[in-house]
Amino acid sequence: MGKGDRAKSAREKIEQQRAADRVRERRKKLVTYVTAGAVALAAVGAGWWYAASRSQSEQAGEALAPITVQPDGAVVMAKQGVERPVVDVYEDYQCPACRELERVSGPTLKNLAAEGLAKVVFHPITIFSQEPTKSNSVRAGAAARCVTEGAKWMTYHDLLFENQPSEAGEGFKLDDLVAWGEDAGITDPAFAECVTSQKYAQAQLAYSQKIGDEQKIEGTPTIKVNGTAIDNSVAFTPQELRQTITEAAK
Amino acid sequence: MNASDASRNARSAVPWVTTAARLGLGGVLIAAGGLKIGNPSESVVAVRAYELLPDSVATTVGYALPIAEIVIGVLLVIGLMTRVAAVAAALLMLAFVFGIAWAWANGLRIDCGCFGGGGELGAGQEPTYLVDILRDFGFVLLGAWIVRFPPGRFALDRPLGLAGMDHLTTEEENGDGQGRPGEVGA
Repeated sequence: MGKGDRAKSAREKIEQQRAADRVRERRKKLVTYVTAGAVALAAVGAGWWYAASRSQSEQAGEALAPITVQPDGAVVMAKQGVERPVVDVYEDYQCPACRELERVSGPTLKNLAAEGLAKVVFHPITIFSQEPTKSNSVRAGAAARCVTEGAKWMTYHDLLFENQPSEAGEGFKLDDLVAWGEDAGITDPAFAECVTSQKYAQAQLAYSQKIGDEQKIEGTPTIKVNGTAIDNSVAFTPQELRQTITEAAK
Repeated sequence: MNASDASRNARSAVPWVTTAARLGLGGVLIAAGGLKIGNPSESVVAVRAYELLPDSVATTVGYALPIAEIVIGVLLVIGLMTRVAAVAAALLMLAFVFGIAWAWANGLRIDCGCFGGGGELGAGQEPTYLVDILRDFGFVLLGAWIVRFPPGRFALDRPLGLAGMDHLTTEEENGDGQGRPGEVGA
């Protein structure tokens, strides 16, 4: 075996060794990568699950507490004799966050009232000052004021939020507002006339002005428990909302 | 100083630029996610305000986005899976650019919800679409830099051996006096 051959085979051996090292290195790298990736994905999954479970709505009970529409347009939902704690809900039919509040925490408010744990008062106001949202909000608010029966008002109120239009264009059109009344089971023939004539548009604006001035509402939705505004992160977390309200009863 | 010194200096600055980019982009993502994570419903509303995704998808995105931002941000800051994290961050920022441009083009009047909030403009507040888009596009560029020159200094990828085969790594190793094994006998 010549000198050149020996050198060549040594070089081959080194080359083989190096190739094996590379394979091992690559495998180790892959394992590290997969592990780190799995941990990262698991963290995202856990965070998503936590967020979703915090926002988990209660199941709404079948029976609602008695609902009465006040002359000024506020709507009280409470069992007979329940005066405290007072939960004031300030919302705008056109406001997306209000829609989300109704979706997430609406059932909790209904349940608390039905269980006699709170007197819930809805204040549908118009918070928007620009078009087209202002007119949309006023049309819906004025239409809801045409509903005088408590239970039907609640159904209509829920339908308005479910069918909330985009903030970018005209919505809550008069024909729709009348049709949703029929969906809510409103049979009073005066209802359609009341909606289309927008009989209560001025009342809706005046009430919004009054609430804005007296209650210092900074935005919608605002929930006040015994007159004190609660944080939105509580309002949007059914469990914490229930806890805050039941504690306020003590 | 001659031309080759200058170019070597420039080259040795590259990993530091990557580190700065990682801290900047990662820090912003952590801040943005942290401000949103306490209030998932608000995050859902902010996503929905773009009127871009169907409701059920918007809900899922609203719940997942804050934590995803935080995780990607942490990966960038510690320099773990740097390149993958940078790709994810850059794509996320591109998606934000697209979303904001979409809202603008469709005449929506929303707050971008980038750092929390439900996407509602406050009273008398005007949308700031152009600023938001330029800012987020800047972050896309930072992400692209990191993808091109990972993982920079102070990155976990290095001790874990995930730093990859990019030319900068080998250059640095040479600079550290380790040399390439093949060159020992040369």
